[in-house]
Amino acid sequence: MIIVKDLHKTFEDNHVLRGINYHVRQGEKIVVIGPSGSGKSTFLRCLNLLETPTSGEIWFDGINITDPKTDIDKVREHMGMVFQNFNLFNNLTIMQNITLAPVKLKVMGKEEAGENALKLLERVGLKEKADAYPSQLSGGQKQRVAIVRSLAMNPRVMLFDEPTSALDPEMVGEVLDVMKGLADSGMTMVVVTHEMGFAREVGTRVLFMDEGVIMEENTPQEFFNHPKSQRLQDFLSKVL
Amino acid sequence: MQAWFEKVAKMFDAAFISGDRWKLYLSGLGITLEVAFFAAILGMIIGTVLAFMKLSVRRNGKKTILTVIANIYIDVIRGTPSVLQLMIMWFIIFSNAKNGVLVAILSFGVNSGAYVAEIVRAGILAVDKGQMEAGRSLGLSKAQTMISVIIPQAVKNVLPPIGNEFIVLLKETAIVGYVSLTDLTRAANQIASRTYEPFMPLIGAAVIYFVVIKILTILLGILERRLRKSDNR
Repeated sequence: MIIVKDLHKTFEDNHVLRGINYHVRQGEKIVVIGPSGSGKSTFLRCLNLLETPTSGEIWFDGINITDPKTDIDKVREHMGMVFQNFNLFNNLTIMQNITLAPVKLKVMGKEEAGENALKLLERVGLKEKADAYPSQLSGGQKQRVAIVRSLAMNPRVMLFDEPTSALDPEMVGEVLDVMKGLADSGMTMVVVTHEMGFAREVGTRVLFMDEGVIMEENTPQEFFNHPKSQRLQDFLSKVL
Repeated sequence: MQAWFEKVAKMFDAAFISGDRWKLYLSGLGITLEVAFFAAILGMIIGTVLAFMKLSVRRNGKKTILTVIANIYIDVIRGTPSVLQLMIMWFIIFSNAKNGVLVAILSFGVNSGAYVAEIVRAGILAVDKGQMEAGRSLGLSKAQTMISVIIPQAVKNVLPPIGNEFIVLLKETAIVGYVSLTDLTRAANQIASRTYEPFMPLIGAAVIYFVVIKILTILLGILERRLRKSDNR
């Protein structure tokens, strides 16, 4: 579904990604972990071109999205993204947050989008917040709305950029529960996170990134129980 | 005491009543408001255009020609006194013009635009970067995200400094006497020189300016509160 070929990204003289190759298949839940500064967020943000790769190619459903001729807006309609800081539109109500893109991009009519939004909000237990503004919600509620906002576009893949890192501890669970439900429904997911429990439980593959490369990649079972590289062993001993 | 009151009453009469002089203040105020109002609109338009010119960046992050033009405009306008700009407009650029009001509106609009540009630019930059990223990640174009998300938030940011700019502009128009327009300030000055009693006309004009600006401030406050309804924390 997503094929990444020799991806490099440089910020000024900082070489963040140093040759990433990976293949995300339909229905997989890829969990990316690694120390801060390892390039995992940059890698994720390259997948929908929020960061423009310096070199290399990214293919999504047979389209080379790194080709300048590709209409990236069209591609992004099919790739949802959830951010660490939620990034809900502050000037819009929850309902408007969710329906803005489907209506503007003519994926749905206004009425249909509204009904769909209510259905999705109900699924995450926030139906009664439809007319609230983001500033009236807790962090956990904001992130659940952010997930719903992405889902409203019926994406084929969901990218999560440290979705629980900005949350108070007691709110992490509610967001992870929504993500688990999403995983169970068969959604293809790429998740950058520090939640090892989630990686173990939900991931189909776990990647360890360090110094701009994928250092190790395996099933959660093997990854956590039999880490091969010394770097990963050190990392796991610190975080587990 | 009695004598003092009589003197004040006489001064008041000379400044405002006799010869229907209050009409001069009124028509002067009319000129002031007309110039300030249309200059403010023109300044908003010019300023917004300049702000977007300044914000335009090429893919490689370098300045565009639009940015360079906007920077030169802002530098020149902010680097010269507005009285001079007004006189240059009136005596050089539009030396054949008959309508001083139009020239004044143009001159103040051009001047205000340079300041508004920086206000608008700052207002847009103050909107969190994540808002644009979220819009783009959903498949919205840059323009669509700007219109639906960034600009509505930027408007809230810029309202206080824009209000400030309007107030400065309104008072700045007191220099239109230089291009032989009789605004409120010049009207007061003319009456003062006719009655040889500067106190009443000048203080009177000051009070009128103050009241007009106070009303403007109240209106801006109402507008600001209304726009802030989405962030009741």
